[in-house]
Amino acid sequence: MGVPVDITREESGSEPVAAFSMSHPAVPALYMVLTLGLTMFSMQPVLIALSLAGGLAYGFATRGAARTLGALRWQLPVILIIALVNPLFSASGSTELFRIGMRAVYLESMVYGLCMGGLFVASVLWFEAAASMLSYDKVLALFGNAAPVVALMISMCMRLIPQFLRRGRTVLAVQDAIDVPGRAPADPVRSRLRASSVLMGWGMEDSLERADAMRSRGWGAATRRTTYARYRLGRGDVAALVGLAAFGAAAVAVAWVATTQYSFYPQLSVPAPWPGYVVYAAWMALPCVLHAVDEKRFG
Amino acid sequence: MTRLDGSMMTDAARGSDEPAIEVRGLRFAYPGAEAPVLEGLDWAVPQGAFALLVGGTGSGKSTLLSLLKPEIAPAGERTGELLVLGENVADMDVRASAERVGYVFQDPENQIVCETVWHEMAFGLENLGMSRDEMRRRVAETSYFFGLEDWLHRDTDTLSGGRKQLLSLAAVLALRPRVLLLDEPTSQLDPVAEKIFMHALFRVNRELGCTVVVATHQPRPMLEYATYAYRIKGGRVREAVDLASLGSREGLLALDSCRPAQGAATSAAAAIREGWFRYDRAGGWVLRGLDVAFSAGVVHAVVGGNGCGKSTMLSVLAKTAKLQRGRMVRGTASAALLPQNPKALLVAETVRDELMEWASTCGYDEAVAQERAASLGLSGLDGRHPCDLSGGQRQLLALAKLLLIGPELLLLDEPTKGLDLASRCIIARALREHAQAGGTVIMATHDLDFAEQVADEIAMMFDGEIACVEPPTDFFAENVFYRA
Repeated sequence: MGVPVDITREESGSEPVAAFSMSHPAVPALYMVLTLGLTMFSMQPVLIALSLAGGLAYGFATRGAARTLGALRWQLPVILIIALVNPLFSASGSTELFRIGMRAVYLESMVYGLCMGGLFVASVLWFEAAASMLSYDKVLALFGNAAPVVALMISMCMRLIPQFLRRGRTVLAVQDAIDVPGRAPADPVRSRLRASSVLMGWGMEDSLERADAMRSRGWGAATRRTTYARYRLGRGDVAALVGLAAFGAAAVAVAWVATTQYSFYPQLSVPAPWPGYVVYAAWMALPCVLHAVDEKRFG
Repeated sequence: MTRLDGSMMTDAARGSDEPAIEVRGLRFAYPGAEAPVLEGLDWAVPQGAFALLVGGTGSGKSTLLSLLKPEIAPAGERTGELLVLGENVADMDVRASAERVGYVFQDPENQIVCETVWHEMAFGLENLGMSRDEMRRRVAETSYFFGLEDWLHRDTDTLSGGRKQLLSLAAVLALRPRVLLLDEPTSQLDPVAEKIFMHALFRVNRELGCTVVVATHQPRPMLEYATYAYRIKGGRVREAVDLASLGSREGLLALDSCRPAQGAATSAAAAIREGWFRYDRAGGWVLRGLDVAFSAGVVHAVVGGNGCGKSTMLSVLAKTAKLQRGRMVRGTASAALLPQNPKALLVAETVRDELMEWASTCGYDEAVAQERAASLGLSGLDGRHPCDLSGGQRQLLALAKLLLIGPELLLLDEPTKGLDLASRCIIARALREHAQAGGTVIMATHDLDFAEQVADEIAMMFDGEIACVEPPTDFFAENVFYRA
């Protein structure tokens, strides 16, 4: 049986599939801040591999295989390039692989480059995850109370940028539509300049009217604006925050120990099996697990 | 239900015989102007009224409305008393004014501040520093009243003009004003959107008891809702006794400027053969096998609802959009397109510079430009900044610019949108003259009155195709639902 018509909402803004979508935005925000921090500051091969795996898995789960693999097309070469370029800049290590002219290329610095590349790509993946978990209105809900005017300014810009681009296309189209024999085709630089001055005049005039519309709805009436938010911090959210903070502290401790004990130079240390890695892996897999639970719920 | 005027419970206590708006001995002059716009103006609107304020461009109706909102009142010399619900307007601060008097502006594009629909609804409430719980309640209530919960999460930029204007009304109503002032609220909307907006306004008036004042130069579509009508003329307001008399249709063309004999047209100025077009692969087809020919020396009107493909067809004819299948053939040497918003064409600091922008590239001189400006009623405006012109004058200026470059094929997108009678008459004459001189005019329009009186041929577009092409008399004789 299909979904009843009165439940489906046509044209409603569809929310992207993301972990933590049932929580107050503070929960994904805490998770993302910790994850990005862990990823960017843990220069240790095992931790980088775990973070990369977690980021990739989340990408596969929410954005689909095609788009995640498509992004790997540029991400893998980046890792390789950094791995190959790093030895040319830092000639340290003890295991010489080969020489280019006078410079020795060491295994250690190549592995270091490989790790740096991996760290970079993992960070990119987690930033993408953050963008899907924290849509614009969630960020607004987080910061709106601290800086209501800044929050409003962002909202206004988000409204005006698409309008500005659309108008720009209109102005250029009207210019192009003028088709008179003997009239030289407009030089693209000049026609863009002209378009931008048309847009300036247009926008400035509109802003006067918008200012009136804002004042007539009480702009500046209260000494402090408030911000409407669609989210409430419930008891479950507080519990989630506390739990995440404890879990996060453990992951940070693991990362700290693992990173300080590891050294790339002069010789690569070999990571030994350690239960701490399980904690770190669990942290990185968390959004993926939540996503799987959610998927299961909807069959 | 609690009405905004509270009349359910405290009729007597409130003294509802007190007028919603009372103006006594108002005189107002803009700085530097010789004569005052408003003088010796007395006006009273009873509570719960649905009042129309009728007057032409420059009659001072917008000035009068904005004087009732101190925070947007224009600068100038003002004497006399203005009272809203018995309270002197001069004593109201921003908060009091926002909570008591709502104001809806003309342009749906410019009065929307925020990015999403729900945030726009909350904007005024945020300004007043309202608590989140109270805001949530007000937004919910207002959304249900206007039935906009289905598009609550949409970006405001993606809404149609009609929905934008409905949102502006809802956002103002969330503040629960008891008097609502609207300045030409439907002049930028198509007829269907106008009906929907007027109906929502009617419900605000009758169900909520909110006093409504609409300033307009085209009262005809609003007459069935109005309970009072006032005419503003010569700086004073008088009550129009006979509401029905405001509904008469105006002649746009003088009788002597007759149309050419039918069938005189020969060659095709432009034609589209089996044209298919869509904006992107995922989107639906906007033009679907469109087959149409426009004969030369004739004024063509293309009518149809929003999103039927009228504007897209004009873009194809203007060669700014390319058909994905089919052919567009243009038999004329030159063409130009007048966009919906004339601001897209205006670039200079003065009207004179504006007219002379293409003088050297298109080969005309100042005398020709002056003559053209005069024929479109723009003489004496040379030194003015285009921004200081009225909407009608701006449209005429944009049209003058295009006519100066001498296009054989003139494409116009909604040339009479939001214009008053005088400007519509001038445009009607200019288009007829263009056709008489051998040019071809193709305009997309919602203004059926204009199409009926000016066009030689009306094409109705529907679902990306032309549903019928007929001379106006046949077109309107055959139509049952779609008529002026």
